[in-house]
Amino acid sequence: MSAEVLVIGGGPAGASAALHLARAGLHVTLCEQGPRLGGALHRQPDDPAQRIRVPRAQSQRWRALSTALEASSVQILCRHMFAGIEGGGTVLLEDRASGRLVTRRPAALVLALGAVERVTPLPGWQLPGVTTVGGLQVMMKSTGQAPDGDVLVAGSGPLLLALAAQMAALGKAPVAVLERSPKLVSPSVIASLITAPAYLREASHYLLALARAGALPQHGTWVRAISPRDGRLAVTIVDRHGRDRELVVDRVALHDGLLPNQNGTAAPSNGPFVVRAGDCREVLGGVAAMADGRHAAKAVLAHLGRSTEAEPSATRVLSRERRAQAAINALYDYSGADPAWLPDETVICRCEGRTLGQLRDLLASSDPVSAREIKLNGRFGMGACQGRFCAEWVAAFIAAQRDGEPPAVSEIIGSRWPVKPVPISAFVTLPPSRPSE
Amino acid sequence: MPHPASSPPQSPRSVAIVGAGIVGMSAAHFLSRAGWQVTVYDAGAPASGATGSADGAVSIASKKPGPLMTLAVAAVRFYEHLTETGILGDEYLPRSTFVVASDQEELGVLERHASHLEASGVSIRLLKGAALTGAIGAAAPSAIAAVEVQGEGHAVGYRVVERLRRLGGFPIRRNCRVSGFNFSKGRIVGVVTEDGVEPTDAVLLATGLGSASFLSGLGPIRPRKGQLIVTDRAGADAPSFPGPLMSCRYLVSKGSQAAPGVTESRSLGLVIDPLRTGQFLIGGSREDRDDRETTDADVVATLLRDAVELAPSLAQLRVIRVFAGLRAATSDGLPIVGRVGGAENLWIATGFEGDGICLGPLMGRLCQQMICGEPVAHDISSLDAARFGLSLATAA
Repeated sequence: MSAEVLVIGGGPAGASAALHLARAGLHVTLCEQGPRLGGALHRQPDDPAQRIRVPRAQSQRWRALSTALEASSVQILCRHMFAGIEGGGTVLLEDRASGRLVTRRPAALVLALGAVERVTPLPGWQLPGVTTVGGLQVMMKSTGQAPDGDVLVAGSGPLLLALAAQMAALGKAPVAVLERSPKLVSPSVIASLITAPAYLREASHYLLALARAGALPQHGTWVRAISPRDGRLAVTIVDRHGRDRELVVDRVALHDGLLPNQNGTAAPSNGPFVVRAGDCREVLGGVAAMADGRHAAKAVLAHLGRSTEAEPSATRVLSRERRAQAAINALYDYSGADPAWLPDETVICRCEGRTLGQLRDLLASSDPVSAREIKLNGRFGMGACQGRFCAEWVAAFIAAQRDGEPPAVSEIIGSRWPVKPVPISAFVTLPPSRPSE
Repeated sequence: MPHPASSPPQSPRSVAIVGAGIVGMSAAHFLSRAGWQVTVYDAGAPASGATGSADGAVSIASKKPGPLMTLAVAAVRFYEHLTETGILGDEYLPRSTFVVASDQEELGVLERHASHLEASGVSIRLLKGAALTGAIGAAAPSAIAAVEVQGEGHAVGYRVVERLRRLGGFPIRRNCRVSGFNFSKGRIVGVVTEDGVEPTDAVLLATGLGSASFLSGLGPIRPRKGQLIVTDRAGADAPSFPGPLMSCRYLVSKGSQAAPGVTESRSLGLVIDPLRTGQFLIGGSREDRDDRETTDADVVATLLRDAVELAPSLAQLRVIRVFAGLRAATSDGLPIVGRVGGAENLWIATGFEGDGICLGPLMGRLCQQMICGEPVAHDISSLDAARFGLSLATAA
């Protein structure tokens, strides 16, 4: 049997890479941390009868890919979480079904870990009942249900529209959709999307559903703060004229764009050949992810000395999607709240409950403290997520306070294995490589 | 033992301290308070070496009997003094350490070590049976005895450094590597960095492993890597952890007590340290390697297997981070503190291996006393650099 290629992530990029590697005759294992393949975009329901409506083209694309995958030789391991590449170059997987740590030494590793959802800090974002838009959408895809109670959707990006419309389709439209960007669709955007008309169709369906439900996005409107009130959430909203108003809701879903999930993707020199694919390499969405999976497969085949064919159609898809995403992103404002007016008690690191005041305090002296000192003494990036959700913001904040020497995000974010917390009970199942002393 | 800086009295005299770890920063603090004009140079940032990746044991429990154990007793008392005088704020946390024996052979080692501790004036309590399970709820049923080493504690190295930085009184030159010194008439007169030459009246080398590059006679300082594990927080109903649990094997691994069959290249001694946050720090390995960036699953899994054997409830927790650091070890296991040949105004304090957090503040104080020409409060003749024949490389 040929050497194993390991593909991490059962979304469109990972599934596509695995399929094309298997078709080239390689021994491929596809690992997915959840119970089913699909990723965030094509998340499959816990109960097939309870399924929310998604655009037809989207579900057809996934059905075609997953059917082909089932017919292929790809070995699929669900409930296997990628824990990272350890110092000896071994890939670690946590088998969540058996509670064991599994080690692999593949000839190549394709990482298709998707995107991380950005939420920029604001007072009260750490409260129970505040979620991310993407997190709420995945929950709806899994359960087939929209959350009960009054939901406020806020931030910026096309995902706000998609979530709100999917909630409306279930008869539970959000009480309001607040889009920070003041821009509406412009003719120039429509012109750039002419080669990707599916996005225009999708957006118009969403807008129609929201118009019917009376929940069209309010542009130029954003959340200033959230505070608990009588078991609910009191949200201070700033409207397009700069006036504050208050809304009391049960749940708030926030979103400020997507970033590639590159946590733990750095490859040690003695480790396997690593290729990243899909949103984990460049956030271009699901259509591009499938094409990028083909590119990743080609890179692995080339590395292993197999003959490969050019993938002109995948390359075409990627450039078309890159143009489309650039046009879409130009409509939105992912900057989040201006840190200058954020109060000191604003939580920055939700893992460790570290606040903006603590960060300001570290930066207050004339002594130019380094990013490493801020990390160690402020404990930013020291929690369970290793800074995945705060490092970018902390680095940007430090840069804004300092002229000339902004720290790199890499100085704050952890790149160490385990990529995510791993139970000690799983570690102890690793067979000793030598007798314990 | 006092070696006065023989320069004529100037006002104020200046000192260059190379290395912003716990030793260098402590010396900087005390020299600054003594009226010296201090500049601290670091090739990186404060606490970016061993200080930033240490376990924070301010502990006598594992010290090798002899001068190191005696100095550790003084060093712990010095932490108490710095706490009483407000210098350390609440960075020092007093608490006992528990050394656990799991079989008869370990019990023998434990009893031998306990008698050394008592002889050094450390108060201890031998725990067996119900007293053991009562004191350490988390201990495994396999534990047959434990020694509670009282009157010691914990301090996070980088937090001590941060505290001293905030007390201030001296500048820290970050990312400023000292490449050499200028001499005149057997004395260092200038510190050479890429920014130029800065005049100085005295120099203290406190750069851990980095100190070796300034010294002739390679060999006495070598890297000894340690890998450490951080867990998430234990629940409120978790069994009690009154202080760090140390496997008796740790004493053997550290060389504090001799035992047959321990390989030099890699040994794994176990300390399970309950942190103030509710998390645990579990470590560490002692490996004769210098790759501080890598951590390996084999070492981590072995440490965790031993940890769960010592305290089974740890299996409920999760590993959130693994990291490594390099200790500066000497061939005889003792630090190097004192004058260095080759220049009459050069001092060194390095080679603390795993004892830098414990000894650091006291050593900083003693360095200040030496540099000021004051009587030195403790006998550190056994730490003298002369035992390795060290001298300044560039002065040769």
